Amino acid sequence: MLKGLFNIVVKEVKELVRDPKILLPMIIIPLIMFPLMGFAIQTSMEAAEEGIGKISIAVMDLDGGPVAENLRINLTNWNVKIVEIDDPDLTEAFSYVQESNLTGLIVIPSGFSQNITEGKTSELEVYAPFRGGGITESTSSSAVSSLVSLFENNLIDQRINERFPESNSTTVLNPIALSEKSIINGKGVDVNPEVLFGLVISQSTIIPVGIMMLLIFAMQLAATAVASEKEEKTLETLLTLPINRFMILAGKLTGSIIVAVVGAIAYLIGFSYYTSSFTGAIPTDAGVDLAAIGLAPTFLSYLLMGLSLFMALLSALALAISLSVFAEDVRGAQALVGPLSILFVFPMIFTIFTDISALPFPLSVILLAIPFTHPMLAARVSFTGDYLTAIGGILYMTVFTVIVLYIAARLFGTEKILTAKLKFRRFSLRRKK
Amino acid sequence: MSVAVEAKDLVKVFGSVRALDGLSFSIENGEIFGLIGLNGAGKTTALRITSTLLLPTSGTVKVFGRDVVEEASEVRSLISYLPEEAGAYKNLSGNEYLKFMASFRAKNKDAVRELVDVASEISGLGERLRDKVKGYSKGMKRRLLVARALMTKPKLAVLDEPTSGLDVLHSVHVRGIIKRYVKKQGVTVLLSSHNMLEVEYLCDRVALINKGRILATGSPAELKTRYKAVNLEDVFGEVVGFA
Repeated sequence: MLKGLFNIVVKEVKELVRDPKILLPMIIIPLIMFPLMGFAIQTSMEAAEEGIGKISIAVMDLDGGPVAENLRINLTNWNVKIVEIDDPDLTEAFSYVQESNLTGLIVIPSGFSQNITEGKTSELEVYAPFRGGGITESTSSSAVSSLVSLFENNLIDQRINERFPESNSTTVLNPIALSEKSIINGKGVDVNPEVLFGLVISQSTIIPVGIMMLLIFAMQLAATAVASEKEEKTLETLLTLPINRFMILAGKLTGSIIVAVVGAIAYLIGFSYYTSSFTGAIPTDAGVDLAAIGLAPTFLSYLLMGLSLFMALLSALALAISLSVFAEDVRGAQALVGPLSILFVFPMIFTIFTDISALPFPLSVILLAIPFTHPMLAARVSFTGDYLTAIGGILYMTVFTVIVLYIAARLFGTEKILTAKLKFRRFSLRRKK
Repeated sequence: MSVAVEAKDLVKVFGSVRALDGLSFSIENGEIFGLIGLNGAGKTTALRITSTLLLPTSGTVKVFGRDVVEEASEVRSLISYLPEEAGAYKNLSGNEYLKFMASFRAKNKDAVRELVDVASEISGLGERLRDKVKGYSKGMKRRLLVARALMTKPKLAVLDEPTSGLDVLHSVHVRGIIKRYVKKQGVTVLLSSHNMLEVEYLCDRVALINKGRILATGSPAELKTRYKAVNLEDVFGEVVGFA
């Protein structure tokens, strides 16, 4: 009996993995497309950074005073190439900046040095040429303002040191040293709460997205696994083999789970690479030792998450297989299963953005009635410590899975698998008339 | 001779269509028995019920004494079914397909290899068995499927239009396989066809079927004598009434 199951699983995996319609969108594209997108963004960022390193600024000094001179010296020290504009005609200067592809123009007005020296505010004009957008350009143009801000900070330090020679400028500007810590499970923990929230949010986003992708992959695969047997005219032969039909169903479920897990891993690897290309790295622990602060997943929380995900997978696959029995080909099966994605997207959005218990009662009941909400809730168990909700969810999904598997097994065990059809075509023809 | 298949008063209703209307026939062990009739006569339905794929609305079919409804799993271990529009898994090679099918009947790897060797000989596909099925022509695919159906030496082979859609050369090859191999191994065959010449060449006995009922049964020679006809086509015309 188990040998027959193993044969079916091996055949299913071979068939699914060798099918370009499955291999390309589910495994190859995530592994290539996301890293390529990440590479494109990373290259643009590097180009932008390189652009900042080669800043050339035109300076129209209408002041000629010591502070203006100091600004020029500072810019030169920061590796900025300065192009002096002697002609005070702004229109000429604008044309020159654009034609010479300079990063910007700083106009130091007359009286600038005098105002600063007397402790007054003095205007400084900064012009950035507009060339049509792009990250590189915006980064370069904001760099000019940043350089001016840097110079302004130097002036502030200078003024404070002049007025309060016995004080440190940093102490004057920051009289309070804020030390932010968190309270976790009644214990004070030396971790900034913002870092902690960031960590929880990143995990509670990645996990529901990952679960959603896995379930969508798995459903499409399971639907394809049955419908392709019909489309390729292999189902009748398979059903007359000396093997229990439930084993055929189990083999298809297992084969679909294996390929869906590989597909979801490929998707997450590609997605992680994509995200890390512009964030530096996914903030998996943000330097926080989760075990030390009591937020590391325990064996029980891992067990509950695993069980919850497994039950969700089983119920999704059984649902997909039951539906695909009514389709005549792969396209029909995917059309039948496709709308079920709402059952994953809906809980995913709510679990990412809110706590379900905070929602209006009818809405939270609807969400909890969707079996696929529960693995997303179970994924939070290590943060919330709410093991009861996770266990309740597993029990609920088990009941749901048993019912759907029973229906699937009934459909597989009888002639319904050959004779059941949903007649979309007839319906559309009638409508045309 | 013992009875291999016995169908009694078979009725099958699909919605408003009565596909089988009291069909009865019996097949002796080792016999090649053909159901001949027009498209929609009920041949495939009768074969599908015998192969445990469909349930009869009423009536019974027994295969070597086993009821196809009550003892379906036992019947499946005795039979091998070749559907009319059968396909093979296109992303597997011919060899992989045969190994997959053989693994349900064979007890170990050596036995699987033996069955695949038998199938290789029956199909005559040789080195092409290493290629993926999606590269096969229709004729090659059918030869692979016929070999799959016969390699396990089933007690009963149920073959629905075995040469369906094949050109003359492939049809001759497939008919040759059935005639030689089945007789050599003592396999009982229930086949359907609307090709009268094929049936005449292959079958020991035939049943003429129309609108879900059997109109006449006998060996091709008996039927030709009974209806004073030159061939089975004329017999069929005489019985069904279009001649």
